[in-house]
Amino acid sequence: MDKSWFTFDLHKRKILTMILLLVFILSLFSVEWNSNLIHSGGFETAKQIFVALFQPDLSTDILLLAVEASWSTLSYATAGMSLAIFIAFIFGIPASGVLAENAKTKRIMRSFFRGHLGFMRAIHELVWAWLFVASIGLSPFAAIFALAIPYGGILGRIFADMLEDVPREPILALEAAGASRLQTLWYGYLPMVRTSIISYAMYRFECAVRSSAIMSFVGIGGLGYQIHLSLDDLHYNEVWTFVFFLIFLVIIIDAWSNQLRKRLVR
Amino acid sequence: MPEIISLNQISKTYERKIALSSLSFSVNKGESIALIGPSGAGKTTLLNIMASILTPDEGEIFIDGSPLSDFKDQRKRAKKIGVIRQQFDLVGELPVIHNVLAGRLSDWGVFKSLLSFLIPQDKQYAVKALERVGLMDKLYDRTSILSGGEQQRVALARLLVQNPEIILADEPVASLDPARAEDILDLLANIAVEEKQTLMASLHSVEYAKKYFDRIIALKNGEIFFDLPAASVTDAHIASLYKLKEQA
Repeated sequence: MDKSWFTFDLHKRKILTMILLLVFILSLFSVEWNSNLIHSGGFETAKQIFVALFQPDLSTDILLLAVEASWSTLSYATAGMSLAIFIAFIFGIPASGVLAENAKTKRIMRSFFRGHLGFMRAIHELVWAWLFVASIGLSPFAAIFALAIPYGGILGRIFADMLEDVPREPILALEAAGASRLQTLWYGYLPMVRTSIISYAMYRFECAVRSSAIMSFVGIGGLGYQIHLSLDDLHYNEVWTFVFFLIFLVIIIDAWSNQLRKRLVR
Repeated sequence: MPEIISLNQISKTYERKIALSSLSFSVNKGESIALIGPSGAGKTTLLNIMASILTPDEGEIFIDGSPLSDFKDQRKRAKKIGVIRQQFDLVGELPVIHNVLAGRLSDWGVFKSLLSFLIPQDKQYAVKALERVGLMDKLYDRTSILSGGEQQRVALARLLVQNPEIILADEPVASLDPARAEDILDLLANIAVEEKQTLMASLHSVEYAKKYFDRIIALKNGEIFFDLPAASVTDAHIASLYKLKEQA
């Protein structure tokens, strides 16, 4: 008997898709569809914020304040990133295992340094910020360290992965020419990953600027702090001025990164 | 001519496939040898074993009378054995001069090799070698923008700077068009003669093997199929070497 009309191909993935869809539809029934779903005054506030988008406060006072706040946000991000890049190289190169002479030391080095990098980035920068503010107080160093540690962890991990993924042939050729481990690093590994490392570090720098703005909510000056103050005062047009400055910073870094990459890749 | 390389019963097995089965032959100083044979015959495995990239499962190799294991230190080995492969051997991101000067790394310490990035050290070596391969004008060009043939010339220049006694070339012209392939082989063979080096190259082309080398070693299924002076290799030899199993 031909049962092909019945046994249509029920692939495992299709079953999963159907189950997930069913769960989603069922979940809609547990929502209470009444006016309490959204805070009643919320719509009004959202409208005010939206209107303010088109009327950012461009008075000299606010602009000067925004420039100053941008400057401190940028300097925290830059200082944090510089330290992060330093950490990333110190930990990332051994974590890649490319300097190890034999398989055993390679295994030990990789797990030791990768473990440390993992610890650094497992804790979010805001949590690091709380810890540092609690221990060394509201000093710029708290913000810089709080940025540098998790970013160093992330960058170091990526650097290590990049170094491990380098094509083997040029490295073997360098070794055949008599290069030591350290020399293959200078003449092979680092030149080959240079462009990717710079472009990833620039992307992370962009993230660091955003993060450093958030960091200022902890109470260290900067764009985030100003946004926070203006929001508390319900001055939405000031909020947008600061937000535009933040966007501007990110765009500038992005443009710089693109230009740098173009010059390196040629 | 004294013996410089001697292979004694070399065997190598991958998983269950036999790559080389008790291979023995010796090479005299200054000889130029072409390794030919169908794909998978073991040419690359043999060259990699001689270059210490792979270790044989059985057998011994003697270089100048001492076992290859005496050359574990890559600095010492680089003075004896140089390797050239397809052009993927270069670091494309570096300028030509640093790729060429990498041939000096076995003589340089860490500090000198770092300093060389700022002020190229022993620059006259690179200049001389690049002049020899006809790329003097590309000294500071980024290596990756060079054509395939030019990159292989850069690799030759590095080999000139390294100046080993034995050159192992694994398919040195595999990815080049016929004109450039002949050009590179001509240069390679000439350099070996002038520097009194022993040359051993694996090739796909029998025609090049006969034209540029004195002796031809043919491998088939990990064994020596024939080992003859280039002049006495006949078409019949070649036909039976490359014959497919089904036709046998």
